[in-house]
Amino acid sequence: MDIATISGQLLGTIPLGDIVPYITPFNLFMFAGALTFTLLIAISRTETQVEAGFGSLKDREVKVGIKEFRIRRFLAIICGLATAGAMITGDLFNFTLFVALIGIVNIGIVSAVKQIDVLDAAFQYGLIAMMASLPLFGGAALVLASTGTLSLFQLSQATFTPVMVTFASVLLILGVAGETGVAPFYATKAEMFRTPGSPFILIIHLSSLLVIVRTIEILLIINKPF
Amino acid sequence: MKSIGRIWNALANPKRIPRLFALVLGIILLTGFLVPFSLNDQQLYPRPEPQVQIDNHDPLAPYNRGGEPLKERGIVKAQYPENSVNLGKITSYLSPIAIQVKNNTIYYGTSIYSSPGGLIDEILYYTRGLDTILESTILMMAFVIASWVAIHFTMRRDE
Repeated sequence: MDIATISGQLLGTIPLGDIVPYITPFNLFMFAGALTFTLLIAISRTETQVEAGFGSLKDREVKVGIKEFRIRRFLAIICGLATAGAMITGDLFNFTLFVALIGIVNIGIVSAVKQIDVLDAAFQYGLIAMMASLPLFGGAALVLASTGTLSLFQLSQATFTPVMVTFASVLLILGVAGETGVAPFYATKAEMFRTPGSPFILIIHLSSLLVIVRTIEILLIINKPF
Repeated sequence: MKSIGRIWNALANPKRIPRLFALVLGIILLTGFLVPFSLNDQQLYPRPEPQVQIDNHDPLAPYNRGGEPLKERGIVKAQYPENSVNLGKITSYLSPIAIQVKNNTIYYGTSIYSSPGGLIDEILYYTRGLDTILESTILMMAFVIASWVAIHFTMRRDE
Protein backbone atom coordinates (compact mmCIF):
# COMPACT_ATOMS: atom_id res chain seq x y z
CA MET A 1 0.00 0.00 0.00
CA ASP A 2 1.14 3.52 -0.64
CA ILE A 3 2.55 5.40 2.35
CA ALA A 4 0.18 8.33 1.76
CA THR A 5 -2.85 5.99 1.69
CA ILE A 6 -2.08 4.21 4.92
CA SER A 7 -0.57 6.88 7.14
CA GLY A 8 -1.62 10.20 5.64
CA GLN A 9 0.15 13.05 3.94
CA LEU A 10 3.95 13.02 3.96
CA LEU A 11 5.07 15.99 6.06
CA GLY A 12 8.81 15.57 5.58
CA THR A 13 11.83 13.33 5.89
CA ILE A 14 14.96 13.32 8.05
CA PRO A 15 17.92 12.45 5.78
CA LEU A 16 20.42 10.29 7.70
CA GLY A 17 22.29 8.63 4.85
CA ASP A 18 20.40 5.59 3.61
CA ILE A 19 18.15 5.59 6.64
CA VAL A 20 15.47 8.17 6.02
CA PRO A 21 12.90 8.47 8.82
CA TYR A 22 9.72 9.97 7.47
CA ILE A 23 7.04 11.99 9.19
CA THR A 24 3.35 11.48 8.52
CA PRO A 25 0.49 12.42 10.85
CA PHE A 26 0.13 8.75 11.87
CA ASN A 27 3.83 8.28 12.69
CA LEU A 28 4.15 11.72 14.25
CA PHE A 29 1.27 11.02 16.61
CA MET A 30 2.79 7.76 17.82
CA PHE A 31 6.26 9.33 18.05
CA ALA A 32 4.96 12.21 20.15
CA GLY A 33 2.89 9.83 22.27
CA ALA A 34 5.91 7.67 23.08
CA LEU A 35 8.05 10.72 23.88
CA THR A 36 5.37 12.26 26.13
CA PHE A 37 5.01 9.02 28.06
CA THR A 38 8.78 8.75 28.39
CA LEU A 39 8.88 12.27 29.84
CA LEU A 40 6.14 11.37 32.34
CA ILE A 41 8.16 8.33 33.40
CA ALA A 42 11.35 10.34 33.74
CA ILE A 43 9.76 12.70 36.28
CA SER A 44 7.56 10.24 38.19
CA ARG A 45 8.22 8.07 41.22
CA THR A 46 7.20 4.46 41.65
CA GLU A 47 4.03 3.23 43.27
CA THR A 48 4.08 1.52 46.65
CA GLN A 49 2.15 -1.71 46.83
CA VAL A 50 0.30 -2.56 50.04
CA GLU A 51 -0.13 -6.25 50.81
CA ALA A 52 -2.95 -6.95 53.26
CA GLY A 53 -2.31 -9.77 55.71
CA PHE A 54 -5.15 -12.26 56.32
CA GLY A 55 -6.31 -12.80 59.85
CA SER A 56 -4.46 -9.82 61.25
CA LEU A 57 -4.44 -6.06 60.99
CA LYS A 58 -0.88 -5.85 59.71
CA ASP A 59 -0.40 -4.48 56.24
CA ARG A 60 2.92 -4.73 54.51
CA GLU A 61 4.29 -2.05 52.21
CA VAL A 62 6.34 -3.17 49.24
CA LYS A 63 8.64 -0.28 48.36
CA VAL A 64 11.18 0.04 45.60
CA GLY A 65 14.68 0.86 46.80
CA ILE A 66 16.54 3.87 45.40
CA LYS A 67 19.12 1.81 43.49
CA GLU A 68 16.51 -0.39 41.88
CA PHE A 69 14.45 2.71 41.16
CA ARG A 70 17.30 4.41 39.35
CA ILE A 71 18.30 1.53 37.08
CA ARG A 72 14.68 0.83 36.18
CA ARG A 73 13.99 4.48 35.42
CA PHE A 74 17.09 4.61 33.21
CA LEU A 75 16.09 1.47 31.28
CA ALA A 76 12.49 2.67 31.00
CA ILE A 77 13.67 5.94 29.44
CA ILE A 78 15.85 4.04 26.94
CA CYS A 79 12.87 1.83 26.15
CA GLY A 80 10.67 4.89 25.55
CA LEU A 81 13.25 6.50 23.27
CA ALA A 82 13.66 3.23 21.31
CA THR A 83 9.88 3.03 20.92
CA ALA A 84 9.77 6.60 19.66
CA GLY A 85 12.55 5.81 17.18
CA ALA A 86 10.77 2.70 15.92
CA MET A 87 7.71 4.83 15.22
CA ILE A 88 9.28 7.17 12.68
CA THR A 89 12.08 5.11 11.15
CA GLY A 90 11.83 4.63 7.40
CA ASP A 91 14.08 1.61 7.09
CA LEU A 92 13.18 -2.02 7.70
CA PHE A 93 16.47 -3.13 9.27
CA ASN A 94 16.57 -0.02 11.44
CA PHE A 95 13.10 -0.91 12.68
CA THR A 96 14.15 -4.45 13.63
CA LEU A 97 17.12 -3.04 15.55
CA PHE A 98 14.84 -0.72 17.53
CA VAL A 99 12.56 -3.69 18.31
CA ALA A 100 15.54 -5.76 19.49
CA LEU A 101 16.62 -2.87 21.73
CA ILE A 102 13.10 -2.66 23.20
CA GLY A 103 13.14 -6.41 23.85
CA ILE A 104 16.43 -6.45 25.73
CA VAL A 105 15.59 -3.33 27.77
CA ASN A 106 12.24 -4.87 28.75
CA ILE A 107 14.10 -7.82 30.23
CA GLY A 108 16.32 -5.40 32.13
CA ILE A 109 13.38 -3.47 33.61
CA VAL A 110 11.99 -6.58 35.28
CA SER A 111 15.26 -8.31 36.05
CA ALA A 112 16.05 -5.62 38.62
CA VAL A 113 13.25 -6.96 40.84
CA LYS A 114 14.23 -9.13 43.80
CA GLN A 115 11.44 -11.69 43.53
CA ILE A 116 12.27 -15.21 42.48
CA ASP A 117 9.04 -15.89 40.56
CA VAL A 118 9.45 -12.68 38.60
CA LEU A 119 13.09 -13.42 37.82
CA ASP A 120 12.11 -16.88 36.58
CA ALA A 121 9.51 -15.39 34.26
CA ALA A 122 12.00 -12.77 33.06
CA PHE A 123 14.44 -15.57 32.27
CA GLN A 124 11.85 -17.35 30.13
CA TYR A 125 11.02 -14.07 28.40
CA GLY A 126 14.71 -13.57 27.74
CA LEU A 127 14.90 -16.99 26.10
CA ILE A 128 12.04 -16.05 23.78
CA ALA A 129 13.58 -12.66 23.00
CA MET A 130 16.85 -14.36 22.04
CA MET A 131 15.09 -16.87 19.81
CA ALA A 132 12.96 -14.13 18.28
CA SER A 133 15.99 -12.23 17.02
CA LEU A 134 16.50 -14.99 14.42
CA PRO A 135 13.17 -14.52 12.57
CA LEU A 136 13.31 -10.76 13.18
CA PHE A 137 16.65 -10.12 11.46
CA GLY A 138 16.15 -13.08 9.11
CA GLY A 139 12.93 -11.53 7.84
CA ALA A 140 14.64 -8.20 7.14
CA ALA A 141 17.55 -10.01 5.42
CA LEU A 142 15.16 -11.97 3.20
CA VAL A 143 13.40 -8.76 2.18
CA LEU A 144 16.76 -7.24 1.24
CA ALA A 145 17.80 -10.35 -0.71
CA SER A 146 14.62 -10.65 -2.75
CA THR A 147 13.87 -6.96 -3.38
CA GLY A 148 17.37 -5.46 -3.22
CA THR A 149 16.42 -2.63 -0.86
CA LEU A 150 15.44 -1.98 2.75
CA SER A 151 14.03 1.51 2.40
CA LEU A 152 10.29 1.62 3.00
CA PHE A 153 9.90 4.34 0.35
CA GLN A 154 11.44 2.09 -2.31
CA LEU A 155 9.53 -0.95 -1.09
CA SER A 156 6.23 0.93 -1.26
CA GLN A 157 6.90 1.79 -4.91
CA ALA A 158 7.55 -1.82 -5.98
CA THR A 159 4.99 -3.13 -8.45
CA PHE A 160 4.69 -6.69 -7.16
CA THR A 161 5.63 -8.73 -4.09
CA PRO A 162 7.86 -11.79 -4.44
CA VAL A 163 6.58 -14.84 -2.53
CA MET A 164 9.70 -14.69 -0.37
CA VAL A 165 8.72 -11.23 0.90
CA THR A 166 5.40 -12.64 2.10
CA PHE A 167 7.29 -15.40 3.90
CA ALA A 168 9.67 -12.80 5.33
CA SER A 169 6.62 -10.90 6.61
CA VAL A 170 5.51 -14.02 8.50
CA LEU A 171 8.99 -14.24 10.02
CA LEU A 172 8.87 -10.55 10.96
CA ILE A 173 5.50 -11.03 12.69
CA LEU A 174 6.88 -13.97 14.63
CA GLY A 175 10.00 -12.02 15.58
CA VAL A 176 8.05 -8.98 16.78
CA ALA A 177 5.61 -11.25 18.64
CA GLY A 178 8.52 -12.87 20.46
CA GLU A 179 10.42 -9.68 21.24
CA THR A 180 7.39 -7.79 22.54
CA GLY A 181 5.70 -10.84 24.04
CA VAL A 182 2.18 -10.74 22.59
CA ALA A 183 -0.38 -13.54 22.80
CA PRO A 184 0.00 -16.52 22.78
CA PHE A 185 3.48 -15.92 24.15
CA TYR A 186 2.13 -13.58 26.79
CA ALA A 187 2.36 -15.68 29.94
CA THR A 188 6.02 -14.88 30.58
CA LYS A 189 5.25 -11.18 30.55
CA ALA A 190 2.04 -11.42 32.59
CA GLU A 191 4.10 -12.83 35.44
CA MET A 192 6.41 -9.83 35.27
CA PHE A 193 3.60 -7.31 35.73
CA ARG A 194 2.99 -8.40 39.30
CA THR A 195 6.10 -6.57 40.45
CA PRO A 196 5.95 -3.23 42.25
CA GLY A 197 7.06 -0.14 40.32
CA SER A 198 4.09 0.73 38.15
CA PRO A 199 5.17 3.43 35.69
CA PHE A 200 8.24 1.53 34.58
CA ILE A 201 6.28 -1.63 34.00
CA LEU A 202 3.75 0.28 31.89
CA ILE A 203 6.38 1.30 29.32
CA ILE A 204 6.68 -2.42 28.48
CA HIS A 205 2.97 -2.43 27.67
CA LEU A 206 3.07 0.80 25.70
CA SER A 207 6.12 -0.19 23.66
CA SER A 208 4.57 -3.53 22.62
CA LEU A 209 1.31 -1.85 21.63
CA LEU A 210 2.97 0.84 19.52
CA VAL A 211 5.44 -1.60 17.94
CA ILE A 212 2.62 -3.96 16.92
CA VAL A 213 0.71 -1.09 15.29
CA ARG A 214 3.86 0.03 13.45
CA THR A 215 4.61 -3.55 12.35
CA ILE A 216 1.17 -3.84 10.80
CA GLU A 217 1.74 -0.55 8.96
CA ILE A 218 5.11 -1.77 7.63
CA LEU A 219 3.69 -5.12 6.54
CA LEU A 220 0.88 -3.35 4.66
CA ILE A 221 3.52 -1.19 2.96
CA ILE A 222 5.79 -4.01 1.80
CA ASN A 223 3.08 -6.50 0.74
CA LYS A 224 1.53 -5.33 -2.49
CA PRO A 225 -1.95 -6.94 -2.76
CA PHE A 226 -3.17 -4.81 0.12
CA MET B 1 -15.01 -26.26 25.77
CA LYS B 2 -13.21 -28.08 28.54
CA SER B 3 -10.27 -28.90 26.26
CA ILE B 4 -9.87 -25.27 25.19
CA GLY B 5 -9.71 -24.26 28.82
CA ARG B 6 -7.03 -26.88 29.33
CA ILE B 7 -5.00 -25.41 26.46
CA TRP B 8 -5.26 -21.89 27.94
CA ASN B 9 -4.15 -23.20 31.30
CA ALA B 10 -1.17 -24.91 29.70
CA LEU B 11 -0.28 -21.64 27.94
CA ALA B 12 -0.37 -19.76 31.24
CA ASN B 13 2.74 -21.57 32.49
CA PRO B 14 5.78 -19.41 31.63
CA LYS B 15 8.05 -22.47 31.41
CA ARG B 16 6.11 -23.86 28.46
CA ILE B 17 6.15 -20.64 26.44
CA PRO B 18 9.77 -20.77 25.09
CA ARG B 19 9.21 -24.38 23.98
CA LEU B 20 5.98 -23.43 22.22
CA PHE B 21 7.70 -20.50 20.55
CA ALA B 22 10.62 -22.67 19.43
CA LEU B 23 8.20 -25.23 18.00
CA VAL B 24 6.24 -22.60 16.03
CA LEU B 25 9.49 -21.04 14.81
CA GLY B 26 10.85 -24.41 13.72
CA ILE B 27 7.72 -25.29 11.75
CA ILE B 28 7.67 -21.91 10.00
CA LEU B 29 11.39 -22.08 9.17
CA LEU B 30 10.93 -25.58 7.70
CA THR B 31 8.09 -24.36 5.47
CA GLY B 32 10.52 -21.70 4.28
CA PHE B 33 12.35 -24.37 2.28
CA LEU B 34 9.25 -24.76 0.10
CA VAL B 35 9.02 -21.05 -0.76
CA PRO B 36 10.42 -20.19 -4.21
CA PHE B 37 13.29 -17.76 -3.89
CA SER B 38 15.12 -15.67 -6.43
CA LEU B 39 17.96 -13.34 -5.53
CA ASN B 40 17.49 -9.80 -6.77
CA ASP B 41 20.48 -8.96 -8.98
CA GLN B 42 19.99 -5.19 -8.64
CA GLN B 43 21.28 -5.34 -5.06
CA LEU B 44 21.70 -2.17 -3.09
CA TYR B 45 24.81 -3.43 -1.31
CA PRO B 46 26.68 -5.36 -4.02
CA ARG B 47 29.54 -7.76 -3.42
CA PRO B 48 31.88 -9.46 -5.91
CA GLU B 49 31.49 -13.20 -6.45
CA PRO B 50 32.98 -14.96 -3.40
CA GLN B 51 36.15 -16.45 -4.97
CA VAL B 52 36.92 -13.95 -7.76
CA GLN B 53 39.27 -11.67 -5.78
CA ILE B 54 40.96 -14.63 -4.05
CA ASP B 55 41.69 -16.29 -7.40
CA ASN B 56 43.21 -13.01 -8.64
CA HIS B 57 45.63 -13.05 -5.65
CA ASP B 58 44.32 -9.71 -4.45
CA PRO B 59 45.90 -9.00 -1.01
CA LEU B 60 42.68 -7.35 0.17
CA ALA B 61 40.40 -10.21 -0.95
CA PRO B 62 37.53 -10.75 -0.44
CA TYR B 63 36.65 -7.19 0.56
CA ASN B 64 38.48 -5.00 -1.94
CA ARG B 65 36.22 -2.21 -3.14
CA GLY B 66 38.83 -0.34 -5.18
CA GLY B 67 39.28 3.43 -5.17
CA GLU B 68 41.97 5.74 -3.83
CA PRO B 69 41.51 7.78 -0.63
CA LEU B 70 40.13 11.29 -1.28
CA LYS B 71 40.79 11.01 -5.04
CA GLU B 72 38.92 8.16 -6.63
CA ARG B 73 35.64 6.67 -5.42
CA GLY B 74 35.44 2.98 -4.52
CA ILE B 75 32.49 0.78 -5.38
CA VAL B 76 29.91 1.65 -2.72
CA LYS B 77 26.30 2.10 -3.68
CA ALA B 78 23.81 4.11 -1.68
CA GLN B 79 20.04 4.15 -1.72
CA TYR B 80 19.98 7.93 -1.56
CA PRO B 81 23.27 9.22 -3.05
CA GLU B 82 22.14 12.82 -2.43
CA ASN B 83 22.35 12.16 1.33
CA SER B 84 25.91 10.85 1.23
CA VAL B 85 27.83 13.19 -1.05
CA ASN B 86 31.35 11.96 -0.26
CA LEU B 87 30.51 8.28 -0.52
CA GLY B 88 33.37 5.94 -1.49
CA LYS B 89 36.15 8.49 -1.02
CA ILE B 90 37.75 6.96 2.07
CA THR B 91 36.72 3.34 1.67
CA SER B 92 40.21 2.23 0.58
CA TYR B 93 42.11 4.01 3.36
CA LEU B 94 44.77 1.76 4.95
CA SER B 95 46.89 2.44 8.02
CA PRO B 96 50.70 2.11 7.59
CA ILE B 97 50.65 -1.29 9.33
CA ALA B 98 47.91 -2.51 7.04
CA ILE B 99 49.92 -1.36 3.98
CA GLN B 100 52.96 -3.30 5.25
CA VAL B 101 50.90 -6.45 5.76
CA LYS B 102 49.28 -6.02 2.37
CA ASN B 103 52.66 -5.74 0.61
CA ASN B 104 54.07 -8.84 2.31
CA THR B 105 51.31 -11.41 2.08
CA ILE B 106 48.10 -12.06 0.20
CA TYR B 107 46.40 -14.10 2.93
CA TYR B 108 45.51 -11.37 5.44
CA GLY B 109 42.57 -9.65 3.70
CA THR B 110 40.08 -10.53 6.42
CA SER B 111 42.46 -9.49 9.22
CA ILE B 112 43.21 -6.15 7.55
CA TYR B 113 39.52 -5.57 7.07
CA SER B 114 38.59 -6.35 10.67
CA SER B 115 41.36 -4.28 12.26
CA PRO B 116 40.93 -0.56 12.97
CA GLY B 117 42.58 1.39 10.19
CA GLY B 118 41.93 -1.36 7.70
CA LEU B 119 39.44 -0.92 4.91
CA ILE B 120 36.70 1.38 6.09
CA ASP B 121 33.22 0.00 5.60
CA GLU B 122 31.33 3.07 4.53
CA ILE B 123 28.06 1.15 4.51
CA LEU B 124 28.47 0.69 8.25
CA TYR B 125 29.84 4.08 9.16
CA TYR B 126 28.37 6.40 6.55
CA THR B 127 25.24 5.37 4.71
CA ARG B 128 23.85 3.18 7.50
CA GLY B 129 25.49 4.90 10.46
CA LEU B 130 22.32 4.94 12.60
CA ASP B 131 22.22 1.14 12.44
CA THR B 132 25.74 0.94 13.82
CA ILE B 133 24.86 3.29 16.67
CA LEU B 134 21.81 1.17 17.50
CA GLU B 135 23.76 -2.09 17.40
CA SER B 136 26.31 -0.79 19.90
CA THR B 137 23.47 0.61 22.03
CA ILE B 138 21.91 -2.86 22.20
CA LEU B 139 25.26 -4.30 23.24
CA MET B 140 25.77 -1.58 25.87
CA MET B 141 22.30 -2.11 27.35
CA ALA B 142 22.98 -5.86 27.55
CA PHE B 143 26.19 -5.14 29.49
CA VAL B 144 24.41 -2.63 31.77
CA ILE B 145 21.75 -5.19 32.65
CA ALA B 146 24.21 -8.06 33.06
CA SER B 147 26.56 -6.08 35.29
CA TRP B 148 23.70 -4.73 37.41
CA VAL B 149 22.35 -8.23 37.95
CA ALA B 150 25.84 -9.56 38.70
CA ILE B 151 26.66 -6.81 41.22
CA HIS B 152 23.35 -6.77 43.07
CA PHE B 153 22.11 -10.36 42.91
CA THR B 154 25.30 -12.38 42.71
CA MET B 155 27.87 -10.39 44.70
CA ARG B 156 25.66 -8.68 47.30
CA ARG B 157 23.18 -11.35 48.15
CA ASP B 158 20.98 -10.59 51.17
CA GLU B 159 20.35 -14.17 52.21
